[in-house]
Amino acid sequence: MQTTLKTTAAPIDLPQLDLHKRRRPHEIIIQAFLFACGIISIFVTLGIVFVLFQESLRFFGSGEVNLIEFLTGTTWQPAIGEFGILPLFLSTIITSLIGMLVALPLGLAVAIYLSEYASPRARGILKPILEVLAGIPTVVYGYFALTFMTPLLRSLFGADTVQIYNMASGGIVIGILIIPLIASMSEDALSAVPRSLREGAYGLGATKLETSLKIVVPAALSGISAAVIVGISRAVGETMVVALSVGAGPKLTFNPFESAETMTGHIVRISGGDLSYDSIDYNSIFSIALFLFVITFLLNLISRFVVQRFREVYD
Amino acid sequence: MKHTSIFVTLLMIVAIIASACAPAAQPTTVPQPTQAPAKVEPTKASEQPTAAPALADPTKAPEPTAEPAMEMLGGLPMVDAGAVTGDIVTAGSSTVYPLSEAMAARFQDEGYTGNITIDSIGSGAGLERFCKTGETDIANASRAIKSSEVESCRAIDREPVEFRVGTDALAVVVNPENTWLDEGVTLEELAKIFSADAKTWAEVNPAWPAEPILRFSPGTDSGTFDYFIEAVMTPAYNKDAKLGEEALLKAENLQLSEDDNVLVQGVEGDKNAIGYFGYAYFQENADKLKALKINGVAPSGSAVDAGTYPLARPLFIYSDPKIMAEKPQVADFINFYLTFVNEEIDAVGYFPASTSVLNGAKMALLIALGQ
Repeated sequence: MQTTLKTTAAPIDLPQLDLHKRRRPHEIIIQAFLFACGIISIFVTLGIVFVLFQESLRFFGSGEVNLIEFLTGTTWQPAIGEFGILPLFLSTIITSLIGMLVALPLGLAVAIYLSEYASPRARGILKPILEVLAGIPTVVYGYFALTFMTPLLRSLFGADTVQIYNMASGGIVIGILIIPLIASMSEDALSAVPRSLREGAYGLGATKLETSLKIVVPAALSGISAAVIVGISRAVGETMVVALSVGAGPKLTFNPFESAETMTGHIVRISGGDLSYDSIDYNSIFSIALFLFVITFLLNLISRFVVQRFREVYD
Repeated sequence: MKHTSIFVTLLMIVAIIASACAPAAQPTTVPQPTQAPAKVEPTKASEQPTAAPALADPTKAPEPTAEPAMEMLGGLPMVDAGAVTGDIVTAGSSTVYPLSEAMAARFQDEGYTGNITIDSIGSGAGLERFCKTGETDIANASRAIKSSEVESCRAIDREPVEFRVGTDALAVVVNPENTWLDEGVTLEELAKIFSADAKTWAEVNPAWPAEPILRFSPGTDSGTFDYFIEAVMTPAYNKDAKLGEEALLKAENLQLSEDDNVLVQGVEGDKNAIGYFGYAYFQENADKLKALKINGVAPSGSAVDAGTYPLARPLFIYSDPKIMAEKPQVADFINFYLTFVNEEIDAVGYFPASTSVLNGAKMALLIALGQ
């Protein structure tokens, strides 16, 4: 793509040399403005990372907790000096996993339908609706989990097995929340697969389903994996849904029908005023945030790697 | 030439962006609002009273006209809410919150035109904003101020003055489907229910079901939490507050939230749940929850008055003479609060403090104003 651009641009370059010399102040202003915007977003990111590290250093430097205790302890109760991140981490993993179990098949199915099967008319109706779903504030999803999903789960599995605050309902709703993300990213990847591949498959006698699943999806795998990883980091970082529906007490449990508290849920509860500022308890939430940041940062790196490593280039 | 012009425009852009960013940053710096009104107020106060009472009088005619005749109510000078301007910033106990909210609503109904913010963040956090960061004018608390907090208050040149505004009967609540606690619990049983020593109800009392206890408690920075530790857990653990707190916090299936509605929802949703919070939150949800008898006494106004309910506790607001002098609206609001609190407190769901205690609070205000 880039090479073709260059070759076509080169011959026109010569006669236009004069034009290049002409000064265009507004161009410069626009360029400088855009540059400043880019710089600001970088500085904001750096600032956030700096604050996270600084406050976390204060937390680990207090002498009340060391990194090994922090990573392996099984109780998180800052008021009595218990700082083991496992219960928070585990519940984040469980809710995200449930979310991905919902979002991945549904999102992928939606993407395949939209890119391979849907008529332009159906696409024109469905895509905007999907985008509306992405625009709903997450706090609404939170109440949806608490007042719709939890009662539904309780009527299915019994009120004795499903607690009022539970990880399953939060996880499922996170899944619904990230369907649009997965669907639209995967759909982009699927649409980018060149038509010649599909036609080749048809030519060999493949059905539409076979073409979609065996030719198009594998060809778009790198884009789909990227969508999945972005979806995971979205699920891990999701806050309002879990704050409202998952519970307010850290608990080390694998049972998705029990209440627990995720990392984000804990941060939002504590910063809401549960603990005093300037105390070790308060600093502890920055260490959780740093932990979260590291997770999502790694996920992003993996996604970049996957995209580059497994990208299939078609002409 | 070209380079310098780029550089100059770049500088300009950065300056524009920096100035554009500045207003966005201001609202987040919290301390500022407390300082700004203090300087603006004196000039404003002289202008607005002429307009404000005219607005207030037609709507609330009976009360303001009746009261000036008494002039002094309970020893306090009359407050004409319509003449009060300027903002008031308060924060603290979620238990006191509904009461302060009701008083603020009445203050505004009677003509107060300023903004009053009431943050429901827990007594500890509220006193911290009052004593450490000095962001607030009034701290709401469902426990008395600690000596350490008084010290930090003095460190920023504030002298906390305590005003007792009422009494709460801490409600211990269960789900309506809970039938095994109809006879209530003793304080010892309650301590065991909320401790790590019992996982199921049967472990507290074999006659109760072998189901896990789901505990719902206010957060650790809450005055209600502190009070529960002090009144229930500590006596059961050799009067060691640390042990009592640890026993509660290490318990399984414990949910801590500063938002009492989260607790209400939790207890409402599960038959094995138990929780505790200020009586007002129980009264508001009396159809969805059951309040337990403690040592055989149900929480009620008469039990609180008779002193038989074991979990009755005082509710306070705190302020500082200097703030009251600098911001007359704060003094006026506290005056108004103490004067009319007993007319609102029943509806909110708490119980009036005795006349002598309330008079003591009014005296404290007079003394603080005299300084």
